[in-house]
Order: sequence, then C-alpha cells, then structure tokens
Amino acid sequence: MGNFDTASSFAIILLAALTHASFQLSISVLTLLSGHALGRKTAHLRLLRLSGGFMLGAGVMTILMVSFVAYLLQMLLPATTPAIIWAAYSGGVIGVGVSVWLFYWRREPGTTLWIPRSFARHLADRAKATKNSAETFGLGLTSIIGELLFTFAPIAISALVLIRLSPEEQLLGILLYAGVSLLPLLVVGLLIGGGHKLSDIQRWREANKRFLQFVAGGGLIILGVFVYVQQVVVTAMSVTGGYQ
Amino acid sequence: MSLAIDVVKRSGKRPTESFDLDKLLRSVLAACLSVRTPEGEANDTARKVTGAVVIWLDTKPAVTSHDIRRITSTHLSRFHPEAAYFYQHHKHII
Repeated sequence: MGNFDTASSFAIILLAALTHASFQLSISVLTLLSGHALGRKTAHLRLLRLSGGFMLGAGVMTILMVSFVAYLLQMLLPATTPAIIWAAYSGGVIGVGVSVWLFYWRREPGTTLWIPRSFARHLADRAKATKNSAETFGLGLTSIIGELLFTFAPIAISALVLIRLSPEEQLLGILLYAGVSLLPLLVVGLLIGGGHKLSDIQRWREANKRFLQFVAGGGLIILGVFVYVQQVVVTAMSVTGGYQ
Repeated sequence: MSLAIDVVKRSGKRPTESFDLDKLLRSVLAACLSVRTPEGEANDTARKVTGAVVIWLDTKPAVTSHDIRRITSTHLSRFHPEAAYFYQHHKHII
C-alpha cells in the first residue's frame, strides 16, 4: 500500500471527510426545506421526519459515491498505484482547493453557492414542494450530487486510499468518511429539531461563510501536498537511495 | 382578494398579474412562522404588514414584484426583524 500505514490512511480519510464537511450545499437545502415546512405550519414530528429523510438521503449518497469511486479505481488501477496517479490526484486536489478559495460563494449577499443556477433553482423549488420524507430522501441524494464539482476531490482521494486497505478497514473507512462529512448536517438538523430559529442558523452561516471557505480550500491544499510528499517525493527518494 | 394593480414580474419574461393580497399575506405569514413565531402573533404581524403595503400601493396603477418585496421587507423589519431577515434572504440561501 505504498508509504501509507493504516493510521495515516485513516488520517487522510478523516481530513478529506472534514474538508467535505465544510461544504455547504446540503445544509443550505436543509435550512430552506425546514423554513418552508415551518412556514406551512408543519407539525414538529413531521418536521423531524422530513429532516431525517433528507439526512438519510445525503448519507446514503455519500456512502454510494465513495464506494462507487473506490470500486472504479480498484478495477482500473494496478495492484500498486503508480506515482504518476498519486501526482495527478495531488495536483487535482490542490487545484480544487485553490478553486474553492476563489469561487465557492457567489459575490452577492447570503450564502449563494457557485453551482449552476438552474440546478440551484431546481433544488430550491423541490425544497419548497417537498411534503413527505420519501421526497426529502430523494432531495438529500440530489444535494450530494449537486456539490460533486467540489466534493469529488476529497471523495476521490479517500477512495484511492481506501482501495489499499483490507475489506474490513475499507468498510470502516467508508463509514468514517460518511459519518464525519455529514456531522454539520446532523448538527443543523438537531438544532432545527431542538427548536432553534432558522434565522439564527442562517445568520451564523452568512457571518462565517468566508471562514468555512478558507477551511475547505485550505484542507484540500494541505491534503494534496501531504499525499504528494508522502507518495511521490518520499517514494522517489527511497528508490534513488536518498531516503532510508 | 385582488386589487386593480398590475404586478410586473422580476425577470420581465413572465406576464404581469393582478396584485393578490392573500398571496402577500401568506408569504409574510410563512416568513413569521419560519422563525417560530407563535401563530397568533404571526397572523397579527402579517395583517399589519400587508395593511401598510396596501396603503403604499394605493395610488399606483402598476408595480414590480421587486418593489412589493422591498416595501414589504421594510415594513416587516419594523414589526418583526427576525422574520424580515428570513423574508429578505430566503432566495439567497442556495
């Protein structure tokens, strides 16, 4: 498994999941969904069911995405991942990190994200129209797909690390990734379920959006540099005898 | 209840429609309920705000939906700042 032991593999998965957790589309959709549900005088238990369905959908899609990319890589890559693949991945992850710093939020008030406007409108319309938990489950699935432009980088690097682990560790790694990446969604869901005002949650998100952007972009850049050093530089030095 | 006032939609692509007081009342009520205002207070606020908007509309034959939203926000800010924040920002969440 190259230069990664199990501990560093899980550390990379954890960092990738934390970076994924700083992305905000699912939280935006959950906030909007809850706002419309409360505005329709939806009963509290029903609101919890709607939020629960949404979070379950987001969780299932995250697990599916990580598993699918890992399976694809396992099929396509040789038993030992070539250094060029690690270099390409690291470059890609650093590139996405810089893009997140530059583009993640639109230059307008609120928490408007840099995703296609037609897709954002579709999500907003669905959040307004959704009235049962099966629909919110579907909305949860869709919201994860909507942010793939940014989340593909941490998902792909986790998948690349996962395929070098044993099957039991792979399962643990996937669950760790999904659990950590969905933590903010769970926290917001609990806050809404606990009776907090949506205006307070949205105000906090708006006030801290630049910090979240910095964390997400910075996390990806650190992740890319670490993987590059560990898998490309250290491996090259070992081969040439410069590092024993 | 519809007043004889034409509302020009924001993009200008959709056709104009008659001003619908119930639609405005429902949207203000929903904003108040979204920030967990008790139902009675939410109804009261919605009625006061729509009343103030109707007075503003009194002399106008046509308005844009953007203007209605702006004036409603201004009045809602006076009666219920929390609801006004959500009313103003809900289109800028995603």
